[in-house]
Amino acid sequence: MAHANTNLQAPGKLNVTKNFKVMYYAASFVGLIAFVFTLIMNQERAWHAFLVGFFYFTSLAMGGFFFTSVHHLTAAGWNVNIRRISEAFTNFLPLALIAGVVLLAGIYYLFEWLHPEAVQTDYLLQHKRSYLNQPFFIIRFLGCLVLWVLLAKKMVSNSVKQDETGDHKLTLKNVPLSVASIFVFAITYSMFSVDTLMSLAPHWFSTIFGIYTFAGLFQSTIAAMILMILYIKKNGQLSGYVTEDHLHDLGKYLFGFTVFWAYIAYSQYMLIWYANIPEETFFFIDRTKGPWVYVSISLILFKFIVPFFALLPRWAKRTPAHLAAVSVLILIMQFVDIFWLVYPSYNAESITFGVPEVLIFFGFMGLFLFAVSRFLQKNNLVPVKDPRIEESLHHHVVY
Amino acid sequence: MIKLINTLEHALRSPTKKVVAGIWSTEEEWLAAAKKAKQAGFDKIEGISPYPTHEIDEALQIPRSPIPFVTFVAGLAGCAFGTWFTWWTSAVDWPINIGGKPMWSLPAFIPVIFECTILFAALASVGAMLFLGGLPKVDPPVIHPDLTSHKFALFVPEDDKKYDVAKIEALFKELGAEEVKQAEF
Repeated sequence: MAHANTNLQAPGKLNVTKNFKVMYYAASFVGLIAFVFTLIMNQERAWHAFLVGFFYFTSLAMGGFFFTSVHHLTAAGWNVNIRRISEAFTNFLPLALIAGVVLLAGIYYLFEWLHPEAVQTDYLLQHKRSYLNQPFFIIRFLGCLVLWVLLAKKMVSNSVKQDETGDHKLTLKNVPLSVASIFVFAITYSMFSVDTLMSLAPHWFSTIFGIYTFAGLFQSTIAAMILMILYIKKNGQLSGYVTEDHLHDLGKYLFGFTVFWAYIAYSQYMLIWYANIPEETFFFIDRTKGPWVYVSISLILFKFIVPFFALLPRWAKRTPAHLAAVSVLILIMQFVDIFWLVYPSYNAESITFGVPEVLIFFGFMGLFLFAVSRFLQKNNLVPVKDPRIEESLHHHVVY
Repeated sequence: MIKLINTLEHALRSPTKKVVAGIWSTEEEWLAAAKKAKQAGFDKIEGISPYPTHEIDEALQIPRSPIPFVTFVAGLAGCAFGTWFTWWTSAVDWPINIGGKPMWSLPAFIPVIFECTILFAALASVGAMLFLGGLPKVDPPVIHPDLTSHKFALFVPEDDKKYDVAKIEALFKELGAEEVKQAEF
């Protein structure tokens, strides 16, 4: 059915509305002020909130990285018209590297295993010192971030270059790069999760932890991509390029990875519950005590059960307003999830949540949106000379 | 024995209807004809193609299949059954103390409940697919032998509210059918 693309206008670059620009600059600024202010008042609180925001948005950027490379790897055609959105997400990675360097200033407030007095009296921490020590942590942490920035830069610049030259070889070049990226992603992202989140409770270990954070990463990335696309479409761009069918497939991803997250979360819980080893169970005991039990239940309810039923019917994935609502819910629950991974390790008795936590999170959100829209303002919204663009233009979802 | 086979075959052979069929040799002509024929108001018009062509659903305004609903309801039933069954076997009929955990421990039973959900949903979907497709069909009538390789057909069965052999034949010819015939299906 060759038609529909004959009188399609060039996609152009993103026209950011003034409100949106003001919104992300204001959010970044307020976040920065809130962070500095909280740092003066209460160092620990500031760094905990910083870690949550940092991990959340670095994960979204890495989600864009993973999304881009996995579709290069499989020679997918359907996603070509939405690829720039996922590529734009990776534009946050340089900022994540800077934020990571800032975070290094606060690691003493984050990680118990960096406290010499705690390690001295603790056999297990002494035992883990060959991995959990400051120099090695910094090397791993910065190594991951630098590697991600470089790989993402290479992959995205190939795609951007193709907009001008139209050289098909650039598509082929991205295939081996994606193979490397997937391996690097799998290893470094699990390591990154283990280092930054799992080691907050240094006695605890879960071999599935990297997959758990990956499940949340992909689920929230798809939700963020859907919202970004709907925002751009609402402003009158991308029409004809991104259709209901692309949204439908993103909706399927969202549904699939909602189930995947539940599957991994359950697998992690069930094995620890069954084995009943004290070094493992305390993680969940802390999270089912006092007010945290409500947070845990809210995760099951709103990160799995509600989105599951809300995304099940076909119309749900083809109705932008509905899909947007579910995406917002999932993005909120991803925040709750990371909050739930971080905070009970410091304080299992009560929940520390207030204005500083919200504002610092908004600060990261502002930076993220700044990076994403900067990328889309500089580059075409659609890789116009991609050899597979026809496939994406005629993408048709039957079921 | 032969008698038994004959009876069985007779039972499986679904009753055939008289149809008026038109044969086209390209997908495009066939789809265009389908759109126009549907506009003429036939409510039971059907199409046959040698490979899946999803545009025909739109052209003939074929409603969505009810199979997803069957899957959903069966899945819920399987989930309920699994929940009840694990509770009954492990906590009621034959309680066994495993590791000092409660008799009915949900985390341990979720895999069973999940598998029951999948099993019920999958079997019901296959069953619904066979039932709705009128399968299995023994020795079904053939409208035109080329329909499984390179030709396309539209046909109107006799129970259609606008069934009129002469009119349908004229319409199909007008729509460019290379052959119009009366057959059984």
